Amino acid sequence: MKVGLKIWRYDSKSGDKALREYEMDAPEEATLLDCLDIVKDRQDGTLAYRKSCRMMICGSCGMRMDGGAVLACKTRMYDIAQAGHVPVISAMGNLPIVKDLVVDMDPFWAKIRAVDPYLKPGYDQAAERENVVSQKQMESIHKESLCIMCGCCVSECNSMESDPDFLGPAALAKGMRFVGDPRDGATVERLETYSEEHGLWDCTRCYFCQERCPKGVDPRDAIAKLGAEAMHNGIDRDMGAKHAKWFVTSAKTTGWLRETELVPKTQGVISSIKEMKFAMGLAVKGKVPPPFPPHVAADVHESRALFDLVKEQGRDGALGIVQGERALMHLAHDAGGTDGAYGKGGDYPVPYLPEIDKPEPKPEPKKESA
Amino acid sequence: MKEVAYYKGCLASLSAKELDISTQALAPKLGIELRELDSVTCCGAGDIHEAEPDYYLHLNARILSYAEATGCDTLMTVCNVCTLNLRQANHQLQLDETLRERVNDNLESVGVPRYSGTIDVLHFLWMAAGTHFPQLQAAAHKGLKGLKIAPFYGCQILRPSKLLGFDDPDKPESLERIIRACGGEPIDYPAKIKCCGFPIIQAREDTALAELIQPIEQAKEAGADAIVTPCPLCHLSLDAWQSKLKKQTGKDFQMPILHLSQLIGVAAGLTDSELKFKRHVVSVGPIVEKLRV
Repeated sequence: MKVGLKIWRYDSKSGDKALREYEMDAPEEATLLDCLDIVKDRQDGTLAYRKSCRMMICGSCGMRMDGGAVLACKTRMYDIAQAGHVPVISAMGNLPIVKDLVVDMDPFWAKIRAVDPYLKPGYDQAAERENVVSQKQMESIHKESLCIMCGCCVSECNSMESDPDFLGPAALAKGMRFVGDPRDGATVERLETYSEEHGLWDCTRCYFCQERCPKGVDPRDAIAKLGAEAMHNGIDRDMGAKHAKWFVTSAKTTGWLRETELVPKTQGVISSIKEMKFAMGLAVKGKVPPPFPPHVAADVHESRALFDLVKEQGRDGALGIVQGERALMHLAHDAGGTDGAYGKGGDYPVPYLPEIDKPEPKPEPKKESA
Repeated sequence: MKEVAYYKGCLASLSAKELDISTQALAPKLGIELRELDSVTCCGAGDIHEAEPDYYLHLNARILSYAEATGCDTLMTVCNVCTLNLRQANHQLQLDETLRERVNDNLESVGVPRYSGTIDVLHFLWMAAGTHFPQLQAAAHKGLKGLKIAPFYGCQILRPSKLLGFDDPDKPESLERIIRACGGEPIDYPAKIKCCGFPIIQAREDTALAELIQPIEQAKEAGADAIVTPCPLCHLSLDAWQSKLKKQTGKDFQMPILHLSQLIGVAAGLTDSELKFKRHVVSVGPIVEKLRV
């Protein structure tokens, strides 16, 4: 088949930038990566891009096609070529470009390192025997464990674009992989760190990470799980956490969001007073509904009773999100089809649905034998 | 007439009443009969999903249950965030019987009917650009007289596409289709599928404003007369927080922001009292003037 590509060429040393068009004959099963190989082998040896495994495992070939991050080795060209479309290929976003399609991954790795991406069991040496964990317990972090650190989720992260210091979806999903690990003994310490400025409460919920991830990690859901775990552990000083808590209070008291009180409940009274002038501007347009008399939903007592009931049942924290993943798995990777990325079912994450009401407790960190 | 259960959500009940009023006035013209739900609460807006996820699921199950009790097969929303929250919970309840049974037992014990999973949650945008497009074409006879309109989708009506799925998340077309049908000219610009910053506008204002300025600035540069959005949260940040952009950057965009129901409503000849433009922070006057000429 004939394949056309427009590739953004860039040299960070000279600053030269150009959109070059290439055309080639490629086998029908060719991926974007195969096509780049053809360009490099036969047309232009100066084209720079990263690759290694060619089979969606190493995470080297993340790049943008028509502005959206993809793994080049996962992207088949047949349908695109048949449609006569010539896609624009460029380097991933939110990372500095070194040359052509190669980005500098240093800022990415710095953020991964910042979440301490290793197990902290809370002891140096296991006392008597290995710390055995059930398959079921590990399945609750299976999705987060699938990350190949390609950077596709980071490429279009809207928060990171506006705040380059934001830890971002890859690092936070990695953090959840350890917060949810029953062998880890640093849960509270981790949640404190991840809840700081530029941490989990900086996520703007644009869901680009979820859309782009080629492995089904669902980083935005991982960030929500971190938030749920933080709240469950009483780590709720951040304004983002207070904001979220006010929605819970609203739902169980009046049913509807108590919108006007949201600002002082999130930012505190002092900051809210500083916002007075802004608020008055909105108030004259009816954008600041008076809190009294409250706008109460009919039968709100049901909503209150439901809150008490679910709290008694103890599916707190991340478990409340994990329990819904078995259903969402049916929608993972190409909605509607039962075939996954490898052309057969079963290659997507298999989440964990607890059959008991309460999660298995984390094993107590063992003390070194005296 | 298609009868649908109507869930207006928090903002359309409170600070964005103009969205509710214009939707109620417009729906019959598009062949949609709204049955407003009384006994419903907030969907949790992603915040309860994060703070108390199990409670989020139950709150949304309760909304779906009361929608089902109306006898309708569709729950219509007018907010992106409500749409994602309700669709996500709905998929979980429809596809996982064990989970549905547990949630239903809980609903029943507090006096809420069990939810059997028959409801489809649809945003008004999808009905107007999809099943009810012929009625929209017929109703939008007054036209927008070639006004240049910048479509702004907002995030949670596009992504995650596996839960939403009406539009191509990278190349959506539904708003453009509606703008054209109403006699306007859709403006294309890169930020139309990006975030408006609203979810973190209180906790991280600087980051949020850096997101917010992109669609407004790009739409202005592309010559838009107004921006239209299907989400009241996007509307609130785009409209009400423009003054903060002015304070921070010195740029006074004065970009009118329309709810989708208002845009169609103008073309369908809704009255001033049904459009409620006076509830906007940024004046819609300039486009009203253009339409009058």
